[in-house]
Amino acid sequence: MNAPTRQPDADIRELSYSEAIREAMGLALERDERVVLMGEDIGVYGGAFQVTGDLVERFGADRVMDTPISELGGAGVAVGAALTGLRPIYEFQFSDFAALAMEQIVNQAAKMRYMLGGEASVPVVFRMPAGSGTGAAAQHSQSFEAWFGHVPGLKVVQPSTPEDAKGLLLAALEDPDPVVMFEHKLLYKMKGHVPEGWYTTPIGKSAIRRHGKDVTIVASAIMVHRALAAAEKLAGEGIEVEIIDLRSVRPIDGDAIIGSVKKTGRLLCVYEGVRTLGIGAEISAMIAESEAFDFLDAPVLRLGGAEAPIPYNPDLEKAAVPQIPDIESAARRLARREV
Amino acid sequence: MSDDNRPFAIRKYDAARLRDALRKMYLIRFFEEGAEDSYMRGLIHGTMHLSIGQEASAVASCIGLTDEDKITSTHRGHGHCISKGAEVGRMFAEFFGKEEGYCHGRGGSMHIADVTKGNLGANGIVGGGLPIAVGAGLTAKRLNTGAVAICFFGDGANNEGAFHEALNMAAIWKLPVVFICENNKYGMSTSTERSTAVKNIAERAVAYAMPGHTVDGNDFSAVAETVETAIARARAGEGPSLIENLTYRWRGHSKSDRNRYRTKQEIDEWIARDPIQRFRKELIEHAILDESEAEKVATEARQEVEAGIEFAKSGTAPRVSDLARYVYAEENA
Amino acid sequence: MPTEVILPKVDMDMDAGLLAQWHVATGEHVEKGAALFDIETDKAAMEVEAPASGIVGHIVAEAGSRIPVGQVVAWIYAENEEIPDLPPGGTISGDTGAAEQEAGRNEVAEVPQPTAPAARGSDEAGAENDSGSPRPRATPAARAAARKSGVDLGRVAGSGPKGRIQADDVMRQQPVSSGPAAVAGLSEAAPPVDWAENQRPLAMTRRKGRAKGHPILLIHGFAADASGWAPLEKALGDAREIIRIELPCHGRSPLVRIGSFREFTRMMVRAFDDLDVAQLHLVGHSLGGAVAAAIADIRPRRIASLSLISPAGLGPEIDGATLYGIARATRTDSLAPWLKRLAARPDAISHDFAKAAMMARMEPELRAAQVELADMLFPDGTQSFDLSAAMARVDTPFKIVWGRQDRILPWRHALRAPDVAGLHLLDKAGHIPHIERPEAVALPLLENFRTGEIPVQQR
Repeated sequence: MNAPTRQPDADIRELSYSEAIREAMGLALERDERVVLMGEDIGVYGGAFQVTGDLVERFGADRVMDTPISELGGAGVAVGAALTGLRPIYEFQFSDFAALAMEQIVNQAAKMRYMLGGEASVPVVFRMPAGSGTGAAAQHSQSFEAWFGHVPGLKVVQPSTPEDAKGLLLAALEDPDPVVMFEHKLLYKMKGHVPEGWYTTPIGKSAIRRHGKDVTIVASAIMVHRALAAAEKLAGEGIEVEIIDLRSVRPIDGDAIIGSVKKTGRLLCVYEGVRTLGIGAEISAMIAESEAFDFLDAPVLRLGGAEAPIPYNPDLEKAAVPQIPDIESAARRLARREV
Repeated sequence: MSDDNRPFAIRKYDAARLRDALRKMYLIRFFEEGAEDSYMRGLIHGTMHLSIGQEASAVASCIGLTDEDKITSTHRGHGHCISKGAEVGRMFAEFFGKEEGYCHGRGGSMHIADVTKGNLGANGIVGGGLPIAVGAGLTAKRLNTGAVAICFFGDGANNEGAFHEALNMAAIWKLPVVFICENNKYGMSTSTERSTAVKNIAERAVAYAMPGHTVDGNDFSAVAETVETAIARARAGEGPSLIENLTYRWRGHSKSDRNRYRTKQEIDEWIARDPIQRFRKELIEHAILDESEAEKVATEARQEVEAGIEFAKSGTAPRVSDLARYVYAEENA
Repeated sequence: MPTEVILPKVDMDMDAGLLAQWHVATGEHVEKGAALFDIETDKAAMEVEAPASGIVGHIVAEAGSRIPVGQVVAWIYAENEEIPDLPPGGTISGDTGAAEQEAGRNEVAEVPQPTAPAARGSDEAGAENDSGSPRPRATPAARAAARKSGVDLGRVAGSGPKGRIQADDVMRQQPVSSGPAAVAGLSEAAPPVDWAENQRPLAMTRRKGRAKGHPILLIHGFAADASGWAPLEKALGDAREIIRIELPCHGRSPLVRIGSFREFTRMMVRAFDDLDVAQLHLVGHSLGGAVAAAIADIRPRRIASLSLISPAGLGPEIDGATLYGIARATRTDSLAPWLKRLAARPDAISHDFAKAAMMARMEPELRAAQVELADMLFPDGTQSFDLSAAMARVDTPFKIVWGRQDRILPWRHALRAPDVAGLHLLDKAGHIPHIERPEAVALPLLENFRTGEIPVQQR
């Protein structure tokens, strides 16, 4: 089942994706003195996307820390703090700005445990508002999850629902290793069931969002919802699509994908990052190398971001990443054996 | 207080501590000579960055620290590591890529560190340790541990963005960090005159509203005194300081250095200002020890290094099947 | 104790170096730090300095030799130290050369030699290569299924794009159990045929259209296949989507045993029903024309227009000799004379045309299946089915095109068509006007399509 390891008595209520993340951070700040939030304008401003919201009022500016506009330094301070005993959550205002901090995330945080022979631990969480669809153009709309997924030592998660946003963030906080969490900006307002209290969604485990026998779609973040919409339409044509919500990019849940492809024989990967050398390449290769290969009854298809920066014009912006009709048509072609 | 003219270190520390400081300086020197020799014999496969000639800066900067205090180090970090209490045997074992090494052979020369002694690691990235030290300062302040973080970096790092971001954040949050720039005049081959707009790197402290001091980095006592003042300020919650230890590496940048950017005369001048000889003379002058005791310290250090090399040679090679061990926490793997 | 001088490691990836030149000779005095000798590596040349001051007592490595890192190359003795005749470790330059050569030999020996593909593994690949035919296009699942069930992929018709064999194709190819009765019942002449079950989908290929308009569905004639439509497709242009279905026992469609024209038609209607197209223009040639008329009769609402080229089903006569001649021919030379009967001018059928047609009919099973089909559809050289009643019920735009020199089906059969059908009788065309005069055929067809796309009220 796709349900996280939640407490049995937890209530089911509706929260938005950003409220779910805020609730997770609030719980963490309450429960663990070592937790600090860091980031640009996360204090009285409430965060660029209002994710931290009123947390500064509840926990004070010492624990909900506005940093200067210094992504490299800020990320590095979080790494040093994690290395010496705090549990920092560092919010990048936009995941694009993480490019400024690659040094600290990739060269330091990810490698520290290894370089020191297992003698050090860097339990830091980097939160990354990501994705296109907001008209913010090339430098505020990217999807870098594959970049970070390429780095041993990091874990990369990409929740698609409010429930998982909270569960994965709490799992990330409990994790002794650095975790990068990609939050799709278009999902922040999406509402969904969120259990109360502390629960974690396991890192490295995908979720089957829809069962089907004809085609497997592996999607992440907002693409899960687009794939679900496409699947609904295809169901009317008698095509039964199975949808796997990746949830974790690193480690990737190979078993679930392999199992599903063995059943359907057809695989479509849908992701927002640039198509080439992306998540879809990894999943396709993984399937080609796995025992699911013998069950493939059609070429594997990938739908990913265009080979271009995210454009400003809304029509171009839409065309730059997979949309519902694209997913629908690709899955239909697979199901109808037209590819 | 009977003799105010004595150097700071002599006044401040007892004989045992001072003798230990001399021992550590010899250990650094002999460790690095031993490492160089092992490299030339093909026993070590990676390159290394030697700090021979900079021993006073490392040892004097750490003499006032406890194991609770943290340091971040640089690619030229063997001296900091020994100053912070690491054993040369395990350091050699790391150099030789053995399981007995501090990093179980995964780190090598550039990442040797004894984390249990508060050493957060040497760093292969110029400026990499600066924000991390600020993070360590943040932890100390947040959890009220009373610890300080000493951040070593070279003159090359002072032109990295991380330097400026780190100093600024340490200052705005008044964190207990002491930034120590070991200015050995060259970032690889490029001199500070050619790379840095200010004459003294310590002048950059002004931009971040913290005290800045330029010190003779080969003068043990001068370094100890300046760092001691900065540590006191940090522990008192008054914030960070920037100290610039002027020193010199006798060897090239790394083993690939052909030494084309500096003259033999310049090197010889600095060799004449050997910080170990200078400190040893000072200790003898002030009757902390005599010539034969000093020689004994040196001999023992040499023996320790030789024993360390033997320990490393007989170490265990890591299993290739363990290649991916330590990428993630064990319970996580 | 003399000080040893070693060949130092000066590069990260260096394990030996060339001792290029000595700056001192045996017996000379050197100062510590003075240049002692030059070494050259792959990347650089550099001087090595004397590690101590004193007399160079022994030089044990000659200039020009390659020395492993760490090897002693000289000994320096203190000023007052006695220099023995022999160096502490002996000379080494000669040994080194030998050792290097030895190492070199070993290295060569370890290089994997390109070997003949003696152990070219799987039986599947081996069998296909031995037969000389290209490796069939098949999905991994189809290959796995073929391995498991012992089916030869070379005998399976793929129903996927580009004729790709998919898992289903293999599943349906499982040999029908051949008990003693089945063996006894086989005629002596016919080779054994792997008959597929009837449910197997027919081969279908599609070409997207550039503009709006209903797609065109093309159904070929007896002993032909979808490739025969190429000239007409060109003449029809690329505005509309083109869909080609191959008849059972033809092209890449399955070889099935069919009992009647009705059953034959039912298979085609099933394939037609699987198309996700609301309405289309139906075009059929010869036997395909009869099938098209039958489909139009069964599914009238999905037909925008009906165009028949030299259709069967309008009379009893048919040139049975040509049908069997084509169906049975095993080589180009025996096929070509029969093909020439299809055309008005024999030279319309080139040797290359005949050769290509033969290539498409190389499979003995396919030929046997078509002979059997001819036996069923055209017993005694007679058309056993009549579509004139079906054609009379057609209420969509309807045209028939025929070649006046048709020697297979006489054009006069067209006169039995219902009055609503427009007749186009072409000169200089035989039984295959769509190949002989594609433009002349396309003209009335396009007109038919256009009419079929005008809403009924406005026609």
